[in-house]
Amino acid sequence: MQITGMLHGARLLELVGFPATEVLGPDATEQDIKSMLGRHGQIFIKPVFKGGVGKKGKAGLVGKAKDLKSVLLEKERLYFACHESGHQQVKANGVTFEAGVPAEHEIYFSITDSTRFRAPTMTLTHLGGVDIEDVDKENVAVIPFDPLTGLKAFVVANALTSIGAPKEVISPLVQQLPKLWELFHGFGMTTLELNPIRMQIDRNGRLSPVACDFKCSFDRDDPRWMRLGIPPQVFAADYSDFEQEINSLRTHQGQSDVYVINANGTVLAPTFGGGANSLVTEMLGDDAIISTDFGGNPPYSKMKEVARICFNHWLAQANVLFIIGGKSNNTDIYETFRAMADALREYFSEHGPTPLYVVLGRGGPNLVRGMGTLRDTCDALGLPYRFFGFDSDISEVIHYAKKADLWMKSGGRGQVARRLGLPACEV
Amino acid sequence: MNNRKKPSVGSFKYHVGISSLSEIASREDRVCVLNILGGESSVVTPISHTYSGGNVVFGTAPGKAGQVLSTPGGDIPVYNSVLEGLEAGHHFNCGVVYLPPLAARDGVAELIRVNPDLRKIFIITEKISAHDAREIRAMGQQHGVDIFGANGLGVADSWSQVRIGGALGGDNPADALRPGSIAIFSNSGGFSTTITQYLRMAGWGTSTVISSGKDVYIQYAAPEFAYALGNDERSKAAVLYCEPGGYYELDADFTKPVVACVVGRWKSKLTRAVGHAGAMAGESDDAIAKERWFMERFGVDGVFTPDDPHFSSKGALVTNIAHIPAALTAVMKANGIRPDFEPEGNLALKAWFGSDQGISLHPELMVPVVEAVSPYNEQITQLNKQIGIVFPRQALKDASGASQMDPLSQVSSLYGVSMLQAAQQPLESNVCLALIRESGGAREQQLINVAVASFVNLYGTPELAAAQASRDAGNAPNAVLAAALGIIGPRRQERARSAVSILIDCLADARLTDPFDRNFKILGIDQARVKELLTEQLDRRAEELMVGLEERGVMPVAVQWLKNLGHPSYDAVLAAITTSLAWGALMRKRISRVTVENLPWWIQLFGVLIGASTDASQHQEHEFCGVSNRSLLRDRSLTEIAYLALLNRVPSPADLFAFQTLTGLLLTNGPGSISAQGAKGAVSADGPEIPQRVQLNKALIGFLSHCGYTHGGNGYEGIAFLVDQFRGSGLTDPGAKEYQVNVKALAAQAVERYASYKSKCKSVGVEVARVPGVNHPVFKGKPVNYDPREVFMADLFESRGEINIFHDFYRELVQALYEAGVTRDVYCVNVDAVIAALLLKMVWQPMARGEINEQELETAAFTIFLYPRMLGCAAEIDDHINRGKNMDTRTPASRCSFVV
Repeated sequence: MQITGMLHGARLLELVGFPATEVLGPDATEQDIKSMLGRHGQIFIKPVFKGGVGKKGKAGLVGKAKDLKSVLLEKERLYFACHESGHQQVKANGVTFEAGVPAEHEIYFSITDSTRFRAPTMTLTHLGGVDIEDVDKENVAVIPFDPLTGLKAFVVANALTSIGAPKEVISPLVQQLPKLWELFHGFGMTTLELNPIRMQIDRNGRLSPVACDFKCSFDRDDPRWMRLGIPPQVFAADYSDFEQEINSLRTHQGQSDVYVINANGTVLAPTFGGGANSLVTEMLGDDAIISTDFGGNPPYSKMKEVARICFNHWLAQANVLFIIGGKSNNTDIYETFRAMADALREYFSEHGPTPLYVVLGRGGPNLVRGMGTLRDTCDALGLPYRFFGFDSDISEVIHYAKKADLWMKSGGRGQVARRLGLPACEV
Repeated sequence: MNNRKKPSVGSFKYHVGISSLSEIASREDRVCVLNILGGESSVVTPISHTYSGGNVVFGTAPGKAGQVLSTPGGDIPVYNSVLEGLEAGHHFNCGVVYLPPLAARDGVAELIRVNPDLRKIFIITEKISAHDAREIRAMGQQHGVDIFGANGLGVADSWSQVRIGGALGGDNPADALRPGSIAIFSNSGGFSTTITQYLRMAGWGTSTVISSGKDVYIQYAAPEFAYALGNDERSKAAVLYCEPGGYYELDADFTKPVVACVVGRWKSKLTRAVGHAGAMAGESDDAIAKERWFMERFGVDGVFTPDDPHFSSKGALVTNIAHIPAALTAVMKANGIRPDFEPEGNLALKAWFGSDQGISLHPELMVPVVEAVSPYNEQITQLNKQIGIVFPRQALKDASGASQMDPLSQVSSLYGVSMLQAAQQPLESNVCLALIRESGGAREQQLINVAVASFVNLYGTPELAAAQASRDAGNAPNAVLAAALGIIGPRRQERARSAVSILIDCLADARLTDPFDRNFKILGIDQARVKELLTEQLDRRAEELMVGLEERGVMPVAVQWLKNLGHPSYDAVLAAITTSLAWGALMRKRISRVTVENLPWWIQLFGVLIGASTDASQHQEHEFCGVSNRSLLRDRSLTEIAYLALLNRVPSPADLFAFQTLTGLLLTNGPGSISAQGAKGAVSADGPEIPQRVQLNKALIGFLSHCGYTHGGNGYEGIAFLVDQFRGSGLTDPGAKEYQVNVKALAAQAVERYASYKSKCKSVGVEVARVPGVNHPVFKGKPVNYDPREVFMADLFESRGEINIFHDFYRELVQALYEAGVTRDVYCVNVDAVIAALLLKMVWQPMARGEINEQELETAAFTIFLYPRMLGCAAEIDDHINRGKNMDTRTPASRCSFVV
């Protein structure tokens, strides 16, 4: 859940009274743009990506223009621009028009939770406008502070002094930057980054900070972000339909975290526990359809609904249903397996049988009862299976699931389909 | 107000109050649990409290003061707040937070502010926001309180047998926590117990186990753990399980050997956390970075695996938790330290349950099922004693686990077998399908033939008298049959049911797999139990049954066994037949024990229903419909017998095929059909949750009472229509290869009559009756429409080279209706037309000879619906008994409407 850019950023900054550059959205008219050019002389044109996309400038995806014709040309170039970052590719849908702010000084500012200090930490430099990693560490202040009192003016002043910031920027920043703590802490953020904040000269010759780019991440476990009234579609790109369906079940009782790894994968692996999730995700790699953590002792009804959604989305393409976790401490194995068994049975009732090999590795309370329920279901549905106890090496169990997947790919799926009485075309 | 900051230890830049791991969970600690009566705490706290010798002094639950949490270690009092508990005289130094995420921070504040003795807080709560986590950290630091978690499972000390917080070690902590020399610090709660278990396999026990949680804020983290490890005399080494994200491990200064397990290289591809909120990393704190930190610290140049063991006396890095025991043993050996005790096992793959389902798997997948470790092996043995499946119960109003109708094709299916497939099977095969959920093979069909045949001749029985009385009173066939079935009550089958129960136990004890295995010997059966199955004198009916089986070449192991024991009773032989019939499905857990125990009753009901459907005059002492009882038992198939009962004559092979086709097509129309609803309602009213009390005969009466002239009896409409069209046409053989009449002309005449009738109706404003057998609400709207079921049947008969002039007439009729402008497009010939055509073809010649009058034809048309639907409804009844709930077919008053 991230927001990048000034389209929404400027509005958020306005909430705490932090100055931001003027911004027009994709629906701006030529007259609006002309008027903005008249006021500011220069406009930056930036593509609008959903979710968090950084380093647009480096990718050549920030346009700059001083006349309407050039603005419109840049708009045309960037409106549906593609941006690749790592293995992800995103497409823009619109542009913003942001007023140029002439300035001598560019500031980098961020707040995040530092695991080194185990406290909220401000990072600040007067040599901003570039990647913070590229700035000499001597010129970067990284200062933890007390969340109970918040980011205070003296913390900012001391930080700027410690890195030798020009005197003229200190006072205006000391006045303005503490406001950002309110935005960060009061609205459920985990990261807030302004880069650059350009120090604009006002009529009286004094400098005043103007945020020219914005980036923040929200904590999805913190409902405070909902106070901002951000349209849901801003975050919609972060989640697939499947993930959104599962997320609707997200409560504090029982995990329901999912991530689609490979929509063409062949191993459907409901995984229990964060640790098991790491190991299973690591070892299955791209064979896995989804990465999940369904631990935390989910009640029957929630587990069944989670399983139902998983099956509806992925069971038809799955070769292996791989139910895996360590030896649970508190998760009632009977309840979770009963829920999944019922969901599996209902899926077969509703959609007809699908070829599947069931592999299970688990331990915990009511283990044998849980395995018994699942065994009965597999027997009733005619599915081959192997259930391993917690005394089996979990990594070997994962290897076994991979072997089962391989066998299914090389003819086994057809064999199981025939066992289920399915015609060859449905394999 | 607690303003006194406790003394810090070590040279940390922040407060740490614990100097040794032995101080983390001790027998002296006293605990207060917030939200003690919550769902998770009320399960976990009693176990922790008992394991720890009663360390929880009180708990809080606002508004629930005065209650207690009962535990095997004694009741724990509950107060509205921490302050109330303290004022009641309790003292504690540890707080456990089980509050919901939005309340956890306030719980921490409450603990800190009101209890000056507080030293440690353990937060179990998951999904605490970063906002609250930062404030919790700050509060703990300000007041010198050590906090563990959040999103952890607390801590445990194997030496002191103390567990504080969550469910470390599961529901039996002593199972996992064997005292030893290894401390565990794990980001994963689940893996903290799993690693403990793995270590025991290699002979290593544990000292202190900490489930740290893996939120962004890990309140008690690796640096403090390393310090306390160094000061703990019991701990000789540690196992660290850590995931990407955070710099905690980088700052940890270990002075004892460590095996670090870093998992999560692949996680760098994720763009948001799954499971552990803090397991998101930048480039410099990802899994690879963490691996590097540890390798540099240990002075090794690779990851330890059993095949390539990189380690030093300082430690080893693994990326798979299963390699931890081997790595630890290697590191400890380098330090001259042997395991704490003899290894308790190994981590080889051990399948506790498995089935290939008869599929030829790859050899690598054929991992044998082995006996599980104690106590799980005993539990599995107990579980395996359960014979057959136990279905989960649910409301089955308008729902069924037996039948369904595909709304697109309108083809119904029973236990996955479509009616088009069922139509190609004899009636006895479909009896198997209805009762044991699998179409029987040749041997199963013979068992059905013999068993049902033994009930059809009702000579001298009250059920025959009742049926005849009902018939003579002018009732429709459904009411006639209901009168007979009303007499076949529970007492009529209790001895057979009891025999089935004994046989199931005996055969299961003998480990029978193939009920027809001639070489199988049933040995070691308690003789007292089998006495009930025998009679002093020869039971003639039993003998006839057994001869019938022998003549047909099927002798199940169970029947042969009974025969060898002496004189089995008729009920025992019947029970042996039905149990043998169901044995495979029962063992495969396809059906339940209840279903098998009901089989003799079903067989009797089917026999009586078929028998009672023919006039009493057809039942003689030694013959039925002119066929000897001996022949019924030894030669005839159930399909033939049913045909006999229906039309009182022996069928030709073509008639038999047509008859079987008809019965297959009519098995079911899904749970929404009125007949199925009647049957299900009858079960629901008896209460399926006590399945033995459900009266099967009454349930079948429910089906019968929900048939009638428009549902079941309406088949006659089509026949009557056809008779009208062909009356006086000179047709003698409807199956003749060369048509004996001009079908096209006949169709044109029919259309002319219908058009004229339609015109008259319109002119006087009367509703126009439809032509029976044409058009369908689903298969319409195209220029030429087809009912796929009719197409299937037409193709089937064409492939057999059989002609049915009535069917062909219908095909001509729909074309003629279109060409005459009566219909907008070419209507489909629907499946009802096929049924009418098939039945009429069977009876056309007897009818022409005057052997069957129209009244009898109408009765036959109704009855031929009842035979197969009896099976379909039996399947619904059995399914409802097994899965349904009491009174689950009722409609809530809120969904009913009143009509003025």
